[in-house]
Amino acid sequence: MAFQPSKSKRHLEPEQGSLNMNSMMDMMTIILLFLLKSFSTEGALVTPSETLRLPESMQGEKPKKELSVSIAKQVILVNDVPVIDVATIDKNQMLIMPLADRLAEYARQEKQLEIDVGKEFTHQVNIQGDDKTAFEVLFKVMFTCSKSDFYKMRLLTIKKG
Amino acid sequence: MAYKPSLRQKSQPLDMELDIRPVMNLMVVLIPLLIASAEWVKIGSIEINVPPSKDVGASGPNENQNQIIENELKLGLKIAITSDGFTIGNSQTLLSNEEGAGPTVPLKTDASYDYDVLKQKLIEIKKAITGKGFKDSDRAVLTASPGIEYQVIISVMDNLQTYTDDAGEQQLLFPQVNFGSIIQ
Repeated sequence: MAFQPSKSKRHLEPEQGSLNMNSMMDMMTIILLFLLKSFSTEGALVTPSETLRLPESMQGEKPKKELSVSIAKQVILVNDVPVIDVATIDKNQMLIMPLADRLAEYARQEKQLEIDVGKEFTHQVNIQGDDKTAFEVLFKVMFTCSKSDFYKMRLLTIKKG
Repeated sequence: MAYKPSLRQKSQPLDMELDIRPVMNLMVVLIPLLIASAEWVKIGSIEINVPPSKDVGASGPNENQNQIIENELKLGLKIAITSDGFTIGNSQTLLSNEEGAGPTVPLKTDASYDYDVLKQKLIEIKKAITGKGFKDSDRAVLTASPGIEYQVIISVMDNLQTYTDDAGEQQLLFPQVNFGSIIQ
């Protein structure tokens, strides 16, 4: 059985009240400041993924956007284009041929740009390696890079602390 | 003589609330924008300098050069990472551990690498060679067994390049790191 509606409450004036926005504004201001602090104009240089987890390091400068060679768990990529599977790298050869070819192509393009429009060829390359990458593979990639005119190498890491 | 304040101009204080809706609108737009472009993970980069010569990676010719220029004092510090631990040495000698055999810095009892002891040893070496006129007192060659993980190498480089002295200041240890060929 439903209750009978209260007669005295029927003639009550709707309450006049305004929302107090002050605390919300405070919160917004704090969030805004925090986000401004972590603002970066560079954009995302690296997208961490399951197959490419960068090692942690205490030091390191701010990286610049350069040609990137990524050593993921299964595959090696140059500027996000897969080049060779890690498993198919020749054990007895220091130079990784498909990678060397691809890098040589990039080097040729860069040199052509230097001639055409005067954009300096920096010889720089960012190496992003998965933290479980074997030293053998890393060393071969670095060797291939240095052979292919990209001898200023930077290892990208995640800064902790 | 100061004027007497007018008694007529007693207007009511203006009772008006500040309209903060435009500011709120701005915030609502700005916050998603900043979230989208925020840097959640700080990326660092460690620079490795490799001479742009044809002999990169081949240690043979470099060692020959070392023998030719004998009057130059060279330390030639090498750190080898193996699955047993770290071995510190140069072309003449290898540092041994307390037991006199095996790697200089063996693994800890829980089979992890002992970076603290490595750092202590390196600081000792740095202090011993400072001011002796070694040409390559900032240089160290890092080498590892084929299967050593990248994270271990980066952690070694962390401990290799700088250290914090007793006064709490950051000091350079061996900032120039080169990679040597793989131990087979």
